[in-house]
Amino acid sequence: MAPPYQRSPSPSQPSGKGEVSDVKSQLRQLAGSRAPGTDDSKRDLFKKVLSYMTVGIDVSSVFSDMVMCSATSDIVLKKMCYLYVGNYAKYNPDLALLTINFLQRDCKDEDPMIRGLALRSLCTLRVPNLVEYLVGPLGSGLKDKSGYVRMVASIGVVKLYHISASTCVDADFPAMLKHLMLHDQDAQVVANCLFSLQEIWTLEANTSEEASSEREALLSKPVIYYFLNRIKDFNEWAQCIILEMVSKYVPPDSNEIFDIMNLLEDRLQHANGAIVLATIKLFLQLTLDMTDVHQQVYERIKAPLLTQVSLGSPEQSFAVLSHLHLLVMRAPMLFSTAYKHFYCHYNEPFYVKKLKLEMLTAVANESNTYEIVTELCEYAANVDIPMARESIRAVGKIALQQYDVNAIVDRLLQFLEMEKDHVTAETLVLVKDLLRKYPQWSHDCIAVVGNISSKNIQEPKAKAALIWMLGEYAQDMQDAPYVLESLVEKWEDECSAEVRLHLLTSVMKCFFRRPPETQQVLRAVLAAGIADFHQDVHDRALFYYRLLQHNVSVAEGVVNPPKQAVSVFADTQSSEIKDRIFDEFNSLSVVYKKPSYMFTDKEYRGPFAFSEEFGNMSIGVESEETAASSQRVEASDKELLLNTSEKEDKVLSNNGPAYSAPAYDGYLDTAASQVQSDLVSLEPPLPSHPPKTSSGIDLLSLGLSIKPTPAPTAPTLKLNAKPVLDPNTFQQKWRQLQVSVSQEISISPQGVAALANLQSLLRHMQGHSIQCIASGGQSPNYKFFFFAQKSEESSLFLVECIINSLTCKAQLKIKADDESSSQAFSTVFQSALSSYGTS
Amino acid sequence: MPVSASAIYFLNLRGDVLINRLYRDDVGGNMVDAFRLHIMQTKELGSCPVRQIGGCSFLYMRISNVYIVIVVSTNANVASAFKFVVEAVALFKSYFGGAFDEDAIRNNFVLIYELLDEIMDFGYPQNLSPEMLKLYITQQGVRSPFSSKPKEKIVPNATLQVTGAVGWRREGLVYKKNEVFLDIVESVNLLMSSKGSVLSCDVTGKILMKCFLSGMPDLKLGLNDKIGLEKESQLKSRPAKSGKTIELDDVTFHQCVNLTRFNTEKTVSFVPPDGEFELMKYRITEGVNLPFRVLPTIKELGQARVEVNVKVKSAFGAKMFALGVVIKIPVPKQTAKTSFQVTSGRVKYNAAINCLVWKIRKFPGQTEPTLSAEVELISTISEKKSWTRPPIQMEFQVPMFTASGLRVRFLKVWEKSGYNTVEWVRYITKAGSYEIRC
Repeated sequence: MAPPYQRSPSPSQPSGKGEVSDVKSQLRQLAGSRAPGTDDSKRDLFKKVLSYMTVGIDVSSVFSDMVMCSATSDIVLKKMCYLYVGNYAKYNPDLALLTINFLQRDCKDEDPMIRGLALRSLCTLRVPNLVEYLVGPLGSGLKDKSGYVRMVASIGVVKLYHISASTCVDADFPAMLKHLMLHDQDAQVVANCLFSLQEIWTLEANTSEEASSEREALLSKPVIYYFLNRIKDFNEWAQCIILEMVSKYVPPDSNEIFDIMNLLEDRLQHANGAIVLATIKLFLQLTLDMTDVHQQVYERIKAPLLTQVSLGSPEQSFAVLSHLHLLVMRAPMLFSTAYKHFYCHYNEPFYVKKLKLEMLTAVANESNTYEIVTELCEYAANVDIPMARESIRAVGKIALQQYDVNAIVDRLLQFLEMEKDHVTAETLVLVKDLLRKYPQWSHDCIAVVGNISSKNIQEPKAKAALIWMLGEYAQDMQDAPYVLESLVEKWEDECSAEVRLHLLTSVMKCFFRRPPETQQVLRAVLAAGIADFHQDVHDRALFYYRLLQHNVSVAEGVVNPPKQAVSVFADTQSSEIKDRIFDEFNSLSVVYKKPSYMFTDKEYRGPFAFSEEFGNMSIGVESEETAASSQRVEASDKELLLNTSEKEDKVLSNNGPAYSAPAYDGYLDTAASQVQSDLVSLEPPLPSHPPKTSSGIDLLSLGLSIKPTPAPTAPTLKLNAKPVLDPNTFQQKWRQLQVSVSQEISISPQGVAALANLQSLLRHMQGHSIQCIASGGQSPNYKFFFFAQKSEESSLFLVECIINSLTCKAQLKIKADDESSSQAFSTVFQSALSSYGTS
Repeated sequence: MPVSASAIYFLNLRGDVLINRLYRDDVGGNMVDAFRLHIMQTKELGSCPVRQIGGCSFLYMRISNVYIVIVVSTNANVASAFKFVVEAVALFKSYFGGAFDEDAIRNNFVLIYELLDEIMDFGYPQNLSPEMLKLYITQQGVRSPFSSKPKEKIVPNATLQVTGAVGWRREGLVYKKNEVFLDIVESVNLLMSSKGSVLSCDVTGKILMKCFLSGMPDLKLGLNDKIGLEKESQLKSRPAKSGKTIELDDVTFHQCVNLTRFNTEKTVSFVPPDGEFELMKYRITEGVNLPFRVLPTIKELGQARVEVNVKVKSAFGAKMFALGVVIKIPVPKQTAKTSFQVTSGRVKYNAAINCLVWKIRKFPGQTEPTLSAEVELISTISEKKSWTRPPIQMEFQVPMFTASGLRVRFLKVWEKSGYNTVEWVRYITKAGSYEIRC
């Protein structure tokens, strides 16, 4: 109901002044009348008042007249009157006092319907100074012989709690609710008691220990079993809440887990999607520590989930798809056979199609890639431009996660021949990313890219990608210098700073490869760059200029060093966040893809701070880590002001010579997610945005490698249980030391399956005195940095471990202060890793 | 607090409030304005049914010309919220008798307020079963002190049943003629490539029932599904009858079905609600009999002409008919002139949807009518863009045919008084999203 001040009436709606006074006088006439037919005319009048109220006209001035008229036995009239009173009482507390009398009288009516309605209205008055009148009726309502009244009363208690918590607790209502919950015959009463108690004790738990222990008691075995055994008596909504509650219960042994699952298995067949999802959540939570059963649960829930997707309205299937999406992302291989369910239909709304595309991308593996990519290519030719773009991105993503990219590259190159601007633009960006990962494809790609006229490309991102390729592959592209030249000539018209920055760097690179042809252009571009009004462009141009002045070969080393292929692009979300979302299955978190604290807590609204996330990323090092991370977050906050594409470069250079150091991954995560969160508010989420230019990184690879000083040998290997190492030292050491052991080992499939929960691996390794300092990655590739310390010695072992969950292989790189014992440590590490998941 | 709606709004397409009900105080009064400003008046509308504005989340759905918006301030259960809206609309429909649109809401707003009060309390969904609510919420709710005596008895009784054990059926029903109507309604979703290979195909089926039975009858339904038949032959220790058995991928049931018995005995047994309800839904992906095959050839002859040939084959029995067949064949936007020939039905060019619409009212089985058309285009030299061909879409209804092959083997009614019942079974297959790329 609209509060009276809500909005000014629009021109199409009456202002209401005349009408209200009209109604008022009519009400006056009827108030005292006892003539037959009065009720009918009252009804019409009440309807009028309510319709005014609905459209936002302030009808609070007739309050007293409405109350006068409310002396009636007509139940519909009563309801209308209650509705009116409930709406306006809050803003007219004095007048509300007038209604107390008749509401209290109705609470004692012989008809349970009237008693219930009156009690409900009494509780919705929301006037703090009237609570004293509420306690009595509420208390007798809870003991009423009619289920309907008890049902209303049990929710009434929580309403009272929100008006005045102390009154509610002092009157001992929570205890009465608890009694009612455990003993009432009526299922709806029991359910309502549960709703109220959950809410009251959760809120009360912050201040009172008793309440928090009561809240714990709700999750005790007898209560849980009490609800589970009569779950079929409850209606579907109450079942949802009960299942949600049970998912927080931790059964002491596995027999109990199986009992619960057997009891509830039929819930997966329920027509209500919310119940199916709640049951799935429960099953997944229960089996979290039982790897193989967990796997079976995934198999079991596949069919019901797919059914829920195909039923109901697009909105409902969206809700289910969001959850399916989460599960697919956690265990893509389990859904790889169901890929046909993710094919998009022409008429589906975009939000459904987008989720489906992401799932198609995730489930692609050796056996189905061909079909999936063929299907995605169909969408790329789609009329719907956002859809076409998303599909091309999806093809690119599959190419980046697959080993056999041959066919996909061909498809991508075909896109370039379609001669549609948006397709070309999107594809160029992808080809660039592909080349960074698979430099061996450069020959094929460059041949096609070379044919694209730079004039047809307008989008800054695509333009930047094309320019990057022109610079990077200048020697393979005949006319690279001339294309660059024509672009430099239009410097003034180029409004994107990102493109201008790329142009600068690319001309530099081109210059080193083909000096005579590029010299002219270089001069022009440096002059234009130095005169540029954009700070970054200006700085970079000046920097290049001075570098060239200083020494051309050093400049080449800085701008154009030999490059390593990128193995894994930074993941945008940490596993910590993903686990949190998983814990909040069947809620908005899954739809928003962020944990609830980010959208319900006040401090997280608006631009999100990710410092906490980063703090959680590395385990083992507490204080130094948080301090360091908060500094970095501050630094990167400043970066937010800068152009986003430049960001990664800047961030890195801020961080000192950190390239290939462990914190790099994690840090980039933070940076990237910050960029993302920033973008989210402006436009639809973009895929993770890897570092564009190489210059920043190039700079850093200048770090000298220092030979480690040989240390005395240690006879046996004992590890310190609680070693301490801060990330900066780790980075430095990692950079300084040479790889002493590098090998590939295989892991048990159970271990790989248990990887779904990264935290448990980290705990497991901690148990073997091996600490994790940073972790990241996305299925199938996970990357970890571990360290360990010899007991009673300061010598450290550093490990980089890349686990591929598809091949069940792990690649280890071990660096050690003391190289002589690194082989022994390697054995310890391997045995620790291979025992994971089997225990 | 997993489910608790703070408010629910009903808006028309212009954004005027038709109904609003605030259940909690934790959302501000300007929620509608926020929705109008940030969702309705932007491109966001329709881009995602769940949106966050400020600290609140808006879950919205459009049903005919009405937006229903649920506002929550906590981390709510989305699936449950949407399901609630759908159920509530079904409830309103059963009260208004059919349509749910702006006019129906305006005419019945008092009733809707009444219902909103009952079906949700403080944001928690309560009882939404029309059967039960109709007992105590009626539009003729007059109860003057003089005429109330005869009703007095029913009302307390009703409240007892509101929360009673068999929530979906009240006792003491009497019918002169005991009848059960059972409809199997299947919709076929198809995605076929231009080369005629099936990309994805599934059938979602519903079993709808209408029961006019006295007392508290127990019903048992037997289908020719694989699991059920196997179980039965196991129980009776005799080999399963040969013949077609259907493998159901997944089944969901109305709450009246005894799921424990389904899991142990694989039979569908239930005490039905009175009147109309949806007994079960199922999904099938294997062994689907496509009722129609479409063979399109669309050629672009130069810049200005397109030649379209479409052959539609009906694959069901020769004695059966499909009704209301509509085939929408896309043509380019810049179509100037069309000429066509068909062997049956009628064709029209619909410029609004850029389609040739081919309608065949009665389509016999085992036939293959064809359409051949020539489309002339306005020659536009400036636009080089090639035409992206949307898929051909098809609508149809085939009575007495199920794409899955599902059949009712028996429907037994058992009631302690032992009356006779008449059972009526119908089958119909409809097009869901039936798309053929060309």
